[in-house]
Amino acid sequence: MQRLPIGQRIRNKRKELGLTQSALAQQAGISVSYLNLIEHNKRMIGGALLNRLAAQLGVETSHLSDAEDGPLVQQTLEMARSQSLTGLDEKNVVRLVAENPDWARALLALHRKYQDTAEHALSLSDRLSQDPMLHQLSHAILTQTTSIRSFAEILGQFDDLNAGDQRRFSGIVASQSGQLGSSVRAMIELLGSAMDAPEPLSPEKEVDDFIIAHRNYFDELESATRSLRDEMGVSGKLVATAIAGRLSDRHGIDVRFTDGDTREPSENVFWLDTRAPEASIRFRMAKRLIEIEAADLLDRLVQDSRLTNDDARSLGRRALASYGAGALLFPYQEFLKAAEHHRYDIDRLSAAFGSSFEQTAHRLVTLQRPKAPGVPFAFLRTDPAGNISKPFSIPGLPMPRFGGACPLWAIYAAFSEPGRIVSQLATTQLGERYLFIARTVDKRTAGFGEAPTRYSVMIGCDSLYMDRLVYGDRYATGQASLETPVGFSCRLCERHDCRQRAQPSLLAGDSRQNNRKAPVTGAAAE
Amino acid sequence: MGTKILIAEDEPFIVESLSFLLSREGHTIASVSDGASVLDELKKQRPDLLILDIMLPTTSGFEILRRIREQPEFAALPVLALTAKGQEADRRRMVDLGVDQFMTKPFSNQELVSSVAALLESAKAPQQ
Repeated sequence: MQRLPIGQRIRNKRKELGLTQSALAQQAGISVSYLNLIEHNKRMIGGALLNRLAAQLGVETSHLSDAEDGPLVQQTLEMARSQSLTGLDEKNVVRLVAENPDWARALLALHRKYQDTAEHALSLSDRLSQDPMLHQLSHAILTQTTSIRSFAEILGQFDDLNAGDQRRFSGIVASQSGQLGSSVRAMIELLGSAMDAPEPLSPEKEVDDFIIAHRNYFDELESATRSLRDEMGVSGKLVATAIAGRLSDRHGIDVRFTDGDTREPSENVFWLDTRAPEASIRFRMAKRLIEIEAADLLDRLVQDSRLTNDDARSLGRRALASYGAGALLFPYQEFLKAAEHHRYDIDRLSAAFGSSFEQTAHRLVTLQRPKAPGVPFAFLRTDPAGNISKPFSIPGLPMPRFGGACPLWAIYAAFSEPGRIVSQLATTQLGERYLFIARTVDKRTAGFGEAPTRYSVMIGCDSLYMDRLVYGDRYATGQASLETPVGFSCRLCERHDCRQRAQPSLLAGDSRQNNRKAPVTGAAAE
Repeated sequence: MGTKILIAEDEPFIVESLSFLLSREGHTIASVSDGASVLDELKKQRPDLLILDIMLPTTSGFEILRRIREQPEFAALPVLALTAKGQEADRRRMVDLGVDQFMTKPFSNQELVSSVAALLESAKAPQQ
């Protein structure tokens, strides 16, 4: 039952007017015991009786029952619960809203401000964790601390050091401490400059962050879809038929197709586009089923501090429903087994599971159950203009979250060969090698003369796993000419001779070639 | 018979303190500061153990490890990785690449000396 402060307000007003319960009950034509129940919120009233009581008390009905009261009580309660404020009685919340709705609103506004601030702090820490300058500085600090600690321990531990060693080691401790001071000052400056308010994140970016924070694996959704699938008792590609059947039999939703754009929106009809590829149609039906059957779980999962507003939560809910659809159509164990068996051949996996390239690639990325992980993949999608979506990074291989990636990456080359898989052995400046696999995907069959809705999708993994992937075979000979020297983004790349450079590098000159850390301590000493 | 340890680390002071500590334990020490030369130096020095800084200039420690493990002669070489990244995910990657033990900077001398001793001990034990 939703708690409303009507009873409380009636009681307050009655006392204010110096009326007894029996007097008011008599005037309103109800029994004293009934009025008592009303005043203690044990009976919900409305309509004629509410109007009568308001008239007897000489107030507007809206004074007793405001449309905002219900949500206000609810939100205040939620706020208390989200902050784990125990010992707050629900009755007191009702009393607060009854007597001082403005105070309740002020509390909620404060709480929202607090949430915004917490969010700001989170995004700052996120930004800092990706800052190359900060990365170099923290490396310098760790190095200096390591030297200081080690020599200090040596000085304390060994009694038999000769005078020369003693002097030298103390000298090192002193000089490294000086450097440490400079590094720390440089870091404070850097952090100071980073405190400028960042732009608020869009709901899309919030959802990206949310997924990244969960490492793109949602165990609860995996087990929920596993149970659902067991209950439906089907396997393989037949699951699509079973899903359609379940939508109609259990939820009264008819799946229908439309070729045009005019669709009567209806709760009982699920419209699908005839021009969508078969795999998309199956996926959408699965997603719809998950949205219905796992509604509570989805609602719970999006209660996450990274999703700060309703738009982000609803977008996150849709992303999770897609995850669930993938888990339902391509069950974890079977899919992992098939992936290893087919050596991660995306085309063969797509054929086996009736999935699209993007669906298969995406499911591969989620195979990260701690006890049974597949090859760890990064994921990225871009449209022809370079607008990035769904970035997912793995250690060593960060995917850009804003702007573009390195123009030499296979994800862009794939646009010149639509529909064909482009593989690439990408070598970073530090000599790390990653295997990239990219292909364009069309979202909807275009008629003659129509432009397709096209994206390029890429997954990438450490070349360490190359021999487990069919795509690694052509690089197995180790021929250097097959490698592509790349960066991550122009801003963070020091290949100054690159012909595709679009922006100047933020990293200083050729310093890395000589001594990577010199400019850091040097700059810090200034 | 003394054991030989190769230290691949570009910070001269860290090399110096490690060399000091480990020679007092009776080991012979060689060092290399450039990532690209680690493999050559391994072939030249034939050490019993490699201490490898994961964040070396010019070539990443990950890539060096990969190249080392590709050589059958170094497949069983004990490797102690020095790292500034304590993250679980990086560790998994290093384990996959064949790191035997990690040491996160800043480490204590005692920790380092006993890890080296333990690694050398287990390398000496007869292979199953």
